[in-house]
Amino acid sequence: MTAVVLAAVVGSLFALGTFLLLRRDLIRVVWGLAIIGQAANVYLLAMGEIAPASFEAVPILAGHGEEASHAQTADPLVQALVLTAIVISFGMTAFALVLSYRVYEEHDTLDLSELGDQD
Amino acid sequence: MTTVIMRTTARAVVPIILVVALSLFVEGHNLPGGGFIAGVLTTTAFALLYIAFGLDFLERGVLGRDIEPGKTPSRDRVVIAYRRVFSFGLAISVASGLVPLLFDLPFLSQTYVEFENVPLYGHLELASALAFDFGVYCVVVGGLLTILSVVGAE
Amino acid sequence: MDGLVITPMLVVLVAAVGTLLFRRQPRVRLAVSLSGAVGYAVAVAALAWYVVIAPAAPGIATYQVGDWPAPFGITLVADGLSVFMLSMVATIGPASLVFSARYLPKYDRRTFYYPLSHFLLLGVTGAFLAGDLFNLFVWFEVMLMASYVFVAYYGGPQHTRAAFWYVALNLVASAVFLLAVGGIYATTGTLNMADIAQRLADPAAAGIDPAPVVGLLALLLSVFAIKAGLVPFQFWIPTAYRAAPPPITALLAGASKKVGIYAIIRLSFTVFAGAQVPVSLPWVSGSSPLAFVGPILFVMAAGSILVGGLGAVGRDSVEGVLAYSSIGQVGFIAIPVAIAATTSSPTLRRVGILAALVYALNHTIAKGLLFLAAGTIESATGTTDLDELGGLAGRSPALSSAVFVGTLALVGIPPLSGFFGKLLVFDTAVRAGAASVLALLLVGSLLTIAYTSRAWNRGFWGVRTPAVEDAAVDPIQVAILVGLAAAILAVGVEFESVYRFADAAATAALDTESYVEAVDPQAVNGGEQP
Repeated sequence: MTAVVLAAVVGSLFALGTFLLLRRDLIRVVWGLAIIGQAANVYLLAMGEIAPASFEAVPILAGHGEEASHAQTADPLVQALVLTAIVISFGMTAFALVLSYRVYEEHDTLDLSELGDQD
Repeated sequence: MTTVIMRTTARAVVPIILVVALSLFVEGHNLPGGGFIAGVLTTTAFALLYIAFGLDFLERGVLGRDIEPGKTPSRDRVVIAYRRVFSFGLAISVASGLVPLLFDLPFLSQTYVEFENVPLYGHLELASALAFDFGVYCVVVGGLLTILSVVGAE
Repeated sequence: MDGLVITPMLVVLVAAVGTLLFRRQPRVRLAVSLSGAVGYAVAVAALAWYVVIAPAAPGIATYQVGDWPAPFGITLVADGLSVFMLSMVATIGPASLVFSARYLPKYDRRTFYYPLSHFLLLGVTGAFLAGDLFNLFVWFEVMLMASYVFVAYYGGPQHTRAAFWYVALNLVASAVFLLAVGGIYATTGTLNMADIAQRLADPAAAGIDPAPVVGLLALLLSVFAIKAGLVPFQFWIPTAYRAAPPPITALLAGASKKVGIYAIIRLSFTVFAGAQVPVSLPWVSGSSPLAFVGPILFVMAAGSILVGGLGAVGRDSVEGVLAYSSIGQVGFIAIPVAIAATTSSPTLRRVGILAALVYALNHTIAKGLLFLAAGTIESATGTTDLDELGGLAGRSPALSSAVFVGTLALVGIPPLSGFFGKLLVFDTAVRAGAASVLALLLVGSLLTIAYTSRAWNRGFWGVRTPAVEDAAVDPIQVAILVGLAAAILAVGVEFESVYRFADAAATAALDTESYVEAVDPQAVNGGEQP
């Protein structure tokens, strides 16, 4: 059940992101990029598994948090990956926003069809 | 946004956010938390201040300096301080990673010491990862606040 | 001695932080930046000596960051392939940094130039050394973040727009990369490259089904093709290369691009080649993912050669010609890789990789030299438009002869490095017995001759234009160019040792077994008890 929900969420996020990416408004494009990044993050998170905790699967448990050793643990690897990916995509989205602000300052428009593609 | 409600809320909420940020920072080596998230929370507190009291508040209201009206915000002393915090944090992170090399351990190796019977606190655990985390914290706070105040002023 | 593996990264990292800390003292900052550049070259040379060149060299060295064991911790691996790529970067990287010191004074107020160029170098180095897929992603991002800022460096409508496309394209590419990483983790249960290779070679023991790997490799291939600028992902190159400052463009073309090539070689040949996955698509069949990579890469490479060559013939500015030329040249690098992926003969496979590496080395030095020369011409005459240039050969013989050597290396005239690169690529095609590939390579070479001689005739011969007459060529910039030209010549003259180095690199790229053995991931099935 969770798998179906997650798949639907990832799918619709990608669809929404792609839709926004193809708009003419530059701000929408930035939104699209951010949403696609988030979709990738959700997908990444869904790739982990929930396993009985053991020092082999989660080496960081050794020495710390022994009391967790009988519980089910979520996969820590994907969480670490997603955390890093979030930080990166956060920075990138901020940069893209600043850039689109500069595009607006220099062209007085955010409409891609007016920006043109002249060399 | 500088309404009375907003200001009153900010007065109450900002200290709470800062305390939560601090606690997340301190337990970050072992539990959920760490330099990045604490830095982001601290930035939120500053953002709330900016929203409630205006962009000049920190420079004029807190530090008691006069600002010239027409100058570019990126030359603000507060912004320069933010940038300094950023470089300082980066230097701390890198340096904390380099320290283990002196002890012939790999780059970024970490360790921790535990203290028993600390007054008031009881069991205290001090991790070397805290130094790295502090660097990350400074980088995040400095970087985000620079962006926030420069872009916010435009 | 394994500490040597991380030294190049630490040197640039410290230099990056140092240049950031001393941004108010231009002299100190410059000194830190230059010593970082020199230290980088020394560190890479020491690493190359220790890993490959020295007698009784181990051939591979690993480093576990933070002392966490292999499949869990961050692994850095320096084998022949990584070291060869690093040596390439160690020629163009310091050259570009020293060049920047002479090129930049007018823009000295921008404090972030030096830290970011060191971070760019750090990202490239990290990508070459990364021993797991996610760190490869992170170093890619470090490299990209720095390059984003450089593409937007000068401001101005066109450049901002170029930067926006560049950022948008690469953000999508990063998302795709993450998808592939997630998929590979779900498929194999690990992200450590050695561990992936180990599990894919014996999927039954690891309890995994390797079939999805082919599709995931296709995702990765498209991401790396974007970085390398292979057709159909080449469209960002001309605008981005024109927008960035010339010393940085030299780094982007010389180093960042090669990261894409490196990642294709490393993942296809070292990591995924061992997987036994029957591939049967129309025209494509085989028993490993390589059978799938080969034809795709071939089509991309063929497209690149044609698009790059034809595009370069029609450009009117030095950077324009060079940017399109580097699209074409990457095609030349990718052709032997494609042949190596398609073939089943181990010898031909090694020869193919070898040819690609030698060609990449030639392209890094020659194209780096030419982009730096474009910077010199620009700062001397104020323009790079071929219509406004002319007679540079008489005005500055040293600059012109350095550019001449670089151009000849692109064309492939003996005894320069380019000759051996081209020779090996043609040799690979002949050995594969593919007449159509030979024809394509010939067309590509003719196009190279066409656009280089056209640019040369218009820019360096003929009547001196007013811009050239008033030119003030910086002697130190020219000295760097002459040094790079000498390097091109040296690679050609001393080709035997370069060949041995490249041979060791190609062998290492194909030697999955010793790669796995060196990293030694203690095989632990995450969660599943055996």
